[in-house]
Amino acid sequence: MLEIKNLHVAVDGKEILKGLTLSIQPGEVHAIMGPNGSGKSTLSYVLAGRSGYDITEGSIRYNGEDLAALAPEERAAKGVFLAMQYPVEIPGVTTMTFLKTALNAQRRQRGEKDLDAVAVLKLMRAKARTLNVSEEMLKRALNVGFSGGEKKRLEILQMALFEPRLAILDETDSGLDIDALRLVAEGVNALRGPLRAMLVITHYQRLLDYIVPDRIHVLAKGRIVAEGGKELALELEAKGYEQLVKEPA
Amino acid sequence: MTLALNLDRKAQAAAVVHSHGLPHRRIEEWKYSDLKAVLGERALVAVTAEWQVQNLPAGVEMFDLSEPNPPAWVMGHIAHPTQNVMRAASLALSAGGVAVRVPKAAAIADVLKLDFTGPGHVRALLVLEEGASLTLLESPGPSDFRNVGFEIVIGAGASLEHVRIAPAADDAILVEEADVRIAAGGRYRAHFAGFGSKLSRMELEIALEGAAAQAQLSGVSVLDGRRHSDITTHVIHRHGDTGSTQLFKHVVGGQSRAVYQGRVTVAKGANGSDSNQTAKALLLGEGAEADLKPELEIFADDVKCVHGAAVGDLDADSLFYLRARGIPEAQARGLLLQAFLEDAVVQIASADQRELVRNELLSALKAVT
Repeated sequence: MLEIKNLHVAVDGKEILKGLTLSIQPGEVHAIMGPNGSGKSTLSYVLAGRSGYDITEGSIRYNGEDLAALAPEERAAKGVFLAMQYPVEIPGVTTMTFLKTALNAQRRQRGEKDLDAVAVLKLMRAKARTLNVSEEMLKRALNVGFSGGEKKRLEILQMALFEPRLAILDETDSGLDIDALRLVAEGVNALRGPLRAMLVITHYQRLLDYIVPDRIHVLAKGRIVAEGGKELALELEAKGYEQLVKEPA
Repeated sequence: MTLALNLDRKAQAAAVVHSHGLPHRRIEEWKYSDLKAVLGERALVAVTAEWQVQNLPAGVEMFDLSEPNPPAWVMGHIAHPTQNVMRAASLALSAGGVAVRVPKAAAIADVLKLDFTGPGHVRALLVLEEGASLTLLESPGPSDFRNVGFEIVIGAGASLEHVRIAPAADDAILVEEADVRIAAGGRYRAHFAGFGSKLSRMELEIALEGAAAQAQLSGVSVLDGRRHSDITTHVIHRHGDTGSTQLFKHVVGGQSRAVYQGRVTVAKGANGSDSNQTAKALLLGEGAEADLKPELEIFADDVKCVHGAAVGDLDADSLFYLRARGIPEAQARGLLLQAFLEDAVVQIASADQRELVRNELLSALKAVT
């Protein structure tokens, strides 16, 4: 589903990703772990299509298509979803309006009919309940005054609503206490399925106790320096990144 | 005697016009709105512009100022002396206008709709007597030049909601001065939506004259092409324990120009006054310009005054967030612009007027580049 080959990405002329290769199949959950500054967020942004992240070499293919040629909104409509590390606050747009607008914008791009307000509300309520997102939260301006946990829950609610084929979770665990983390992880696990791939990006092993990946890649200085099964996370936790980063890949 | 008084005030106003001449950019308050440059001497011709009131709500009294023998309530309030040259011109160079009175304690549910049309100068007077309340919807039509001198008198405990929607008019030159006096416990809540013209200026002088008098001003503008829109306010806290708030938001595209000049004066002895003014602009075009100038003059103690201004661009993080959720760029920009204006729009108390302004904004935002 996702084929990244020898990916080089520069931000402001500075190379951040230096030849990253990664392949994810439908139904798989992969984790990317790495220290600060290794290029984790750059990878998530370049996959979602943020401007200012220039691919200088290599390729990203998504279901056989050149992902880099698509605008962010086209990627979303084709099933790419990025749960962001820092969801933005937008005063003046209610969460409900935002969700409805986004859902229908994606549907329209796929040539599907808009869902009416009643249908959207019904859908939203059903998904919101399992993630403990209150009706009152949906009426508030998007992410404004939300706690860290509420913001992350809303990200996962969007994931549940949009039903992406490739979900990228960028440091979804940051800023969450253990209860919030568990709730978010349960939400994510509920969305695992044979047709959906996930890429979980995290600094800490903690999240991977709850979202158990099929495969772990260690990113350091813009390259994958180690790969393995879920047990690699424990090894990293014990040894730290330092050792791996130093060893030649 | 009343006629003599009127003539006397007209003569005084003519003298003010004569000594000052047309305002131009070298006069500080007109720096960003050079009336003389766009008009030449055309403005100083004695022509009276027109006004229309559709469906005068029951319980509201009206008088045509071109008629002889004005009633006492008109004579009691009209033509407050002024050094403001355009206000003086509206009196000196017009032969009419409209006066409206809402009698004591009358709560008028229907909206009073007042339109100004055609070229020239015109006067308007609105008197809300003690405890009265009214919603005024003002629509200035396009004209190659019009100057409106408006006087608004809000009695003790009276409440006026004033909504002015100035549609886009590329060739129009529209100037209006409102002089608002608010007695104790009176409330003036006003919203100015402007879509710009060749030169468009709404000037407000608001005096809070009694305890607990309140002025709540807000406004939005969406400008495109080479349009101009100027809101200039001067709020004077003459009495202690009065309050004023101002929130103006501008979306400025193309090569257009938005101006906000807001001065708040807290007079000597007006202790315990509270004022807050905010003006923000988003510049969309390379040639777009916003001149935001909040000012404070404080001559009293124990006052709480806050002011701020900011000019910027759409937030890149927000735009990316919306697009990453599948909302196409143009739609995402529109949504963010709407959101930017929304906190000023929600200041409008009446839901009908709010919807009216929202719809106007929506169609203007679709066209803005």
